Amino acid sequence: MPNIAVFIEQRAGQIKQVAWQMLSEARQLVDAHGGEVWGVHWHAADCDVSTTAGRYGAHKVVTATAPEFERYDSELWTQALAQFVQQHKPDLLLIGSTAMGKDLAPRLAARLRTACISDAVGLSWNDGLVVKRPVYAGKCFAQMTARSACPVVGIRPNAFALRETGGTAAAVAFKPVLDASRAKAKVTAVETAAAGKVALTEAEIVVSGGRGIKGPENYRLIEDLAGALGAAAGASRAIVDAGWVDYSHQVGQTGKTVAPNLYVACGISGAIQHLAGMSSSKCIVAINKDPAAPIFKVADYGIAGDLFAVLPALTEAVREFKR
Amino acid sequence: MKIAVCVKQVPDSEVRLNLPGPVPELDRSAFTMVINPYDQFAVEEAVRIKERLGQGDITAVTVGPAAKVREMLKKDCLAVGCDRAVIVDDAALAGADPLAVAEVLAAVLRRDRYDLVLCGIKAIDDDSSQVGVMLAELLDWPHVGYIGSLDITGDGLTARREIEGGVEVVASPLPCVLTCGKGLNEPRLPSLPNIMKAGMKPVEVVDCAGLGLTPPAPLTAVKEYTPPPPRGACVMITADDDAAAARELARRLHEEAKII
Repeated sequence: MPNIAVFIEQRAGQIKQVAWQMLSEARQLVDAHGGEVWGVHWHAADCDVSTTAGRYGAHKVVTATAPEFERYDSELWTQALAQFVQQHKPDLLLIGSTAMGKDLAPRLAARLRTACISDAVGLSWNDGLVVKRPVYAGKCFAQMTARSACPVVGIRPNAFALRETGGTAAAVAFKPVLDASRAKAKVTAVETAAAGKVALTEAEIVVSGGRGIKGPENYRLIEDLAGALGAAAGASRAIVDAGWVDYSHQVGQTGKTVAPNLYVACGISGAIQHLAGMSSSKCIVAINKDPAAPIFKVADYGIAGDLFAVLPALTEAVREFKR
Repeated sequence: MKIAVCVKQVPDSEVRLNLPGPVPELDRSAFTMVINPYDQFAVEEAVRIKERLGQGDITAVTVGPAAKVREMLKKDCLAVGCDRAVIVDDAALAGADPLAVAEVLAAVLRRDRYDLVLCGIKAIDDDSSQVGVMLAELLDWPHVGYIGSLDITGDGLTARREIEGGVEVVASPLPCVLTCGKGLNEPRLPSLPNIMKAGMKPVEVVDCAGLGLTPPAPLTAVKEYTPPPPRGACVMITADDDAAAARELARRLHEEAKII
């Protein structure tokens, strides 16, 4: 009979999609096994999240409002969540594996001396929690169990589908005692990327380029298609190391791991280190001159052709569908 | 400046698993083992800090069987600028989870008192991305995770870290734990003479009892490892020319896959 708490992350006034995805999945679990879904949300100024949270499955939303929650601080967020866990005693706490979640979950788990499992893509409840997560860069999955009260489990963005199967969530006010003197590392500024850029790790569609684009000047073909699709632009390690694009675009073992609905690999051969970062994408499209390229082994759709001809036509066709 | 770098030995990224079905444990006997690539950024950053400040002492710390990790410490840590190494070798730590490893590392770091601790953002085997942050919590230190650049200023530091859609600038006093990833620096390669000289640098091997620690029990366990779900065969799209194939692909993504 698990009561599942879901941390509803807010950044720059926006709620992360993964929060609604986690609520949807948690609701499925408690509908099958009993228990409730509780949203947990910290903010600096009153805003209503319980309506949306309810729709995605929350039975109640525990909200704390404090000026300290204006800008993320791992210490203060940890204090508030630790107090929430101690007072409300959920059986499981889900936190999105975002930049914030990866910063927060291990600190919270260490403070509570509770089990911590990150980047999960599946949850089941068979006489207790079983968490499925990719290991060895997605070459296999580990089915994990936890031996402590209230495990903290990080959930990979886009791993769970949105389901509007809930109803109305009760709003419950929570007043954590915050000790700001313990918060030693301080965020002094947040620099936002150019408007219109989609964050790679959260994108529903990713278009990536590799050596096949032949030079940095041709990366705009990737960006054009990404723009038409509303996608994020990614890159293989080879073109990042060659200095054609910034490291922040790299998908793969030493770059980012993505699991979008659609991943379009253009001129990428499919080295094992690249597959590590994208093989759990729901639909994979490969465009590559070499029909024997390993990328086609993981792809759902492939074009063995010249990307300089394929990409402009594809971009145009996508624009047509969007009109 | 006394700096510690926590490193882990992991299977090389080229290792193939090819699981036939669910297995209770992976057969790791044939894996080629290497230093975790993210930890190399941490090692390099520590060496650069020491070079910039013109003073400092760097200790590489690892948990694992001494016979297996010694060569990695020599070649990838001591030969590129670390001054000494500590190996926590204890059979009781075989099933350790990230929190247990963090507790062991914290015991070493408390004993030897450091100003700065650097870790990789994650290890490429379990991909947990937890130990560095947990270590900071157990030491009651601040941390800055996933740093992309670093500036040490007297008794504090400023680091930039990538977040979704931007960058956070974080200021922290010392001591502090930093987790390091690609983009921070270009790790140097060890030279042959430096590998030879690294053999002379001190390496301490200690077990949990030697640290005054009861081996911490893991709070998580792997029930089984399962292969990734099989993917269907790739539908190769052919048409009169590449542009026609592209239009056909768009049509299928729209009508069949319903993604665009």
